[in-house]
Amino acid sequence: MKLLGIMLPLLVSLTLLSGCGEKEKFIVYGSPENEKEVETILKEEDYVDKTTVIQYDNSMLVATQIKPWHKWKKTKLEKKLQKKFDEKYPNKEVFVSADYKIFYEANKIKREQVEDNKLKDKIKKLKKLAKEET
Amino acid sequence: MEKEQYQQLEQNVTPKPPYFKNVAKAFLVGGLICTIGQAVSLFYIIFFDFTEATAGNPTVSTMIFFAMILTGFGLYKKIGQIAGAGSAVPVTGFGNAVISAAIEHRSEGLVLGVGGNLFKLAGSVVLFGVVSAFFIALIKFILVSIGVVSW
Repeated sequence: MKLLGIMLPLLVSLTLLSGCGEKEKFIVYGSPENEKEVETILKEEDYVDKTTVIQYDNSMLVATQIKPWHKWKKTKLEKKLQKKFDEKYPNKEVFVSADYKIFYEANKIKREQVEDNKLKDKIKKLKKLAKEET
Repeated sequence: MEKEQYQQLEQNVTPKPPYFKNVAKAFLVGGLICTIGQAVSLFYIIFFDFTEATAGNPTVSTMIFFAMILTGFGLYKKIGQIAGAGSAVPVTGFGNAVISAAIEHRSEGLVLGVGGNLFKLAGSVVLFGVVSAFFIALIKFILVSIGVVSW
């Protein structure tokens, strides 16, 4: 009985939360060029859950989240996606990351509508952060 | 009374341990500890410059800090009584083993008491962790050199 008292509110709140959690799965910030193309590339890969793309100058930051069961192979899928983008856009500088930090910061950039001159510094910092290992 | 008879009697009298209930308790409490750990990890990712790959170290130290406070106030042993392995398997259980040993031997002095007995219980965890990590790394290194797998 005591167990039920703990579990019931938890289950109810979980179901409520999952019901309200429906959001856009694909977001682009910056220049909207080849937006549709990038979206179709990402739709082809069934392991990609949500993606935020930031375009500026001649480079692109692809911050993605991978679906739960595929997360075991996160680094491999990240590399695969990076390779795919490199082949599709050989004259563009693309950076793919599946890390939650990068995804969170990319969404923050979109939310706060960061200006162009500040954007470059922020992205540079994020790229450096994503490469850190310890 | 013969030895076998006594054993028979003992088995009849001993109550059956509630395995399922114990497993459920361990699962819930262990899961709760891991959920707190995930929350701490997310806290470090969102408010500090840690990524998913680097947030592990500060998270582990924070969880051990929580275990230290709970052990110091004598609350962790109560959790351990309820949850058993659910509270011993996460890293907080390791922290509890280190800190309770330190508290127990405090009266013998800082160097020979606390320093000498700090890893009395948890020392085997450290030793076997390091040794097994060494051998796993060695096996992987050999496999990579032969060309079976890549880093």
